[in-house]
Amino acid sequence: MVRQGKRMRGGDSPEILVEMRGITKRFPNVLANDHVDFTLMRGEVHALLGENGAGKTTLMNILYGLYRLDEGEIWIKGRRVNIRSPRDAIKNGIGMVHQQFRLIPTHTVAENVILGLKEAGFYLNYRDINEKLSEIISFYGWNISPSARVWQLSVGEKQQVELLKALYRKADILILDEPTSVLTSQETTQLFATLRKMAGEGLGIILISHKLDEVMQVSDRVTVMRRGRVVATKPTRETNPNELANLMVGRPLITSFERLNKTSEKPILRVENLRVLDDKGLPAVRGVSFTVKGGEILGIAGVAGNGQQELAETIAGIRKAVAGKIILDGVDVTNKGSLFMIRQGVAYIPAESSKCVAYQMSVAENLVMKSFRYEPFSKSIVMDWDSIKQHAERLIDAFSIVTPSPSTRAGNLSGGNIQRLILARELTGLPGSSAPKLIIATYPTRDLDVAATEFVRRTLIQNRDQGAAILLVSEDLEEIMMLSDRIAVMYRGEIVGILEQQEFDVEVIGMMMTGARRGEAA
Amino acid sequence: MRSAIPLIRVQRRLEVPRRVSAAVSAFFILLSFAAAALIFELMGVSSVATFGVIASVFTNPNLLLQAILRGLPIGLAALGLSIAFRMNFWNIGAEGQLYMGMFAATGVVLLHEYQGLIAEPLVIVFMVLASFVAGGLYCALSAALKAKMGVNEVLTTLMLNYIAILFVDFLVYGPWRDPKGFNFPLSIQFPDYARLGFVLGSPSYEGLAMLLVVAFLVYGLMRHTTLGFEMRVVGESPEVAKHAGISYAKALIIGGFISGGLAGIAGFSVVSGIIGRLRPRASPGYGYTAIIVAFLALLNPWLIIPASIFFGGLIVAGDLIQASLKLPFAAVQIFQSIIFLFIIAGEFMKRYRIIVSWR
Ligand SMILES: Nc1ncnc2c1ncn2[C@@H]1O[C@H](COP(=O)(O)OP(=O)(O)OP(=O)(O)O)[C@@H](O)[C@H]1O
Ligand SMILES: [Mg+2]
Repeated sequence: MVRQGKRMRGGDSPEILVEMRGITKRFPNVLANDHVDFTLMRGEVHALLGENGAGKTTLMNILYGLYRLDEGEIWIKGRRVNIRSPRDAIKNGIGMVHQQFRLIPTHTVAENVILGLKEAGFYLNYRDINEKLSEIISFYGWNISPSARVWQLSVGEKQQVELLKALYRKADILILDEPTSVLTSQETTQLFATLRKMAGEGLGIILISHKLDEVMQVSDRVTVMRRGRVVATKPTRETNPNELANLMVGRPLITSFERLNKTSEKPILRVENLRVLDDKGLPAVRGVSFTVKGGEILGIAGVAGNGQQELAETIAGIRKAVAGKIILDGVDVTNKGSLFMIRQGVAYIPAESSKCVAYQMSVAENLVMKSFRYEPFSKSIVMDWDSIKQHAERLIDAFSIVTPSPSTRAGNLSGGNIQRLILARELTGLPGSSAPKLIIATYPTRDLDVAATEFVRRTLIQNRDQGAAILLVSEDLEEIMMLSDRIAVMYRGEIVGILEQQEFDVEVIGMMMTGARRGEAA
Repeated sequence: MRSAIPLIRVQRRLEVPRRVSAAVSAFFILLSFAAAALIFELMGVSSVATFGVIASVFTNPNLLLQAILRGLPIGLAALGLSIAFRMNFWNIGAEGQLYMGMFAATGVVLLHEYQGLIAEPLVIVFMVLASFVAGGLYCALSAALKAKMGVNEVLTTLMLNYIAILFVDFLVYGPWRDPKGFNFPLSIQFPDYARLGFVLGSPSYEGLAMLLVVAFLVYGLMRHTTLGFEMRVVGESPEVAKHAGISYAKALIIGGFISGGLAGIAGFSVVSGIIGRLRPRASPGYGYTAIIVAFLALLNPWLIIPASIFFGGLIVAGDLIQASLKLPFAAVQIFQSIIFLFIIAGEFMKRYRIIVSWR
């Protein structure tokens, strides 16, 4: 309980928890951090902003011991430290919640928390551990049980387990890399309440986010990075979203775009009574029917895990339907496989980049991963690397992918640039056809900075205006309401209702996402 | 307080630059020589003399040709493995596929000798083709089991090794035994037209040409064909392959077939190039050595050639040490095993860092 005492004192005088001085990190052909200075005070939430590839994750990975710095110094609580590994970081009281959770689904919450903990020793006293965990859980008003299995938890709860891990290890410096990109708005609100409470306890929190309104809402100070450098550090109340956007991308943002409503009457996609099983063999999609017309965006709203992903995968030909029909342009394409669907002009943007990006292969190779079978990228069976490279250069330019060269490994790109790579590949039609006929986009703006988000939304609208049918799966109600022509709400594998544009209402959709039927919700 | 026992931790390296990788390999090969020298000294043999013998293998032109010949099956099998490993298909059955290749090549010779179905100059061509198909099908079996039923390929390829080795035993002890061979378990001696070196005069020249051609083909396949592209994507992740419309099963089975086929040709090179007939245990483990060679060469086809000749040279050196320094065969085996062990340790050290702390 020494720690608690120390935290109580946190309020009197602001103590510097972390001081990073002149941090420089080079990757081949990339200067990811260029003499970065960064400080974190006790009791503050410090937001780290910057466009995709600005070097935010790199800086935090250095602090957490995942990368070695090339130049610079790190001081923690007044002591110069040499952080060589996450273990060293944990010893110094640093905890990090990565964007991809690092939990073992089949283990319990408690088991995940003590995993890799040296003090745990050989014999585990679960009673003590559970007691301590319950104490922390009830302090923050969470709703998880230490003995629950992680796979049973929602995304937001899994994130709480990650926080629990750091708190149990007595971390007082907490790094969160884009924590809200996987959360619903309710979960985000709850997370922010937790973060404020932690700050009140004397922890220092570093929050990476692309969402300016969130930054304004929860942070005490903001540091903006651009191309590896810090361009400004400011108290949040002395700045505003416009100034931040300006600092980040060097120009103000456009927040609305032209909408040409040109929905054709021809249904491109018709789904009839579709039934699909998940990976465990349990029903995930339970009798879903809808149609999407050319030039129309149908939004699928719902809390993640209610069958949206399985639905999207089945339409993309990646997962098999057990019953029902998928009709594309009047042709029955049920269970025809992914290659067939690609040839039919179906583009699919999965929620997780690991499902569609070969990290060890080059950017150019990833960009032709669907079109390599066509001329000019290959002739009969021989690949034409010259035209593949030219194609890559065109797309890198058109989609502003930040990469040293087309031959860079895709895995070395920043999170947002990987997402741009996916979009570039999926939204560009196969050679010979102008654009995809059907676009299945799940969470297309996840991880993107404000400028790129705006770019993607514009591109989707453009594709729609050119006559593509678009299925947009998202948890972000604001986004889905801004882009969709109609919204279907999914709950437990069923569509509980489809709303027309004039019926869009956050409250109603929110209610329906928790299972209320359309009539009841309205 | 310092405790008497240090805490040893193993930690994954985050970034492994190419240059570090090469330096670590070189360092561990040198270290293995030092360890081998120590063992030779302990056995009362001058390590200087021993290393003189080993060095002579790579400086004396005649011995170097021998090294190339012994490196040939290792190199061919390793080239095949480089394809399988790129697909994350952990084929450790090159030895068995090699035996199937020896069986098929010998079968063609016997068929010609007893039935006379093919023209003489074509025999060697059919031997190569038959050994490729035999080794290929043998490996494709494991690939199909993995692709269709999810059976672990490490188990199936390993177990199929024993079946192939015993199958060849059965043939030479039984139906394929040379009738004029005084009851030794040997097939008939291959006629000249079935021997490697018939055209260029030396099996080593033809062997080296074969290695270069196959390395070129493997490089071309993996880098410049759509099939190679598909196989690399499959190796990256089956999920990504599916997203890109690439059939995991098709790529795995075709790739497995080619991988095993090259090990089959390695078997051909043993019976046609080195021994000139089929006999039990005709391979001293070329197929296993190939695994190490493939990794040491970082799965790069061009690096596989020097690496396999190096290991071929070690086999030749082993024979020489045994003969000239009167060391038991076991000593040679120890020598070779030490080198293997250090190389594997080196591979480990490339990926992990060992941290010792006194706390
Ligand atoms: N392991 C690596 N090897 C090579 N280059 C890298 C590596 N990690 C990051 N980079 C490069 O460093 C730069 C900064 O990347 P970083 O991931 O820090 O960006 P970020 O600010 O987190 O962006 P995002 O918002 O897209 O996540 C990028 O240009 C990226 O391509
Ligand atoms: Mg990042």
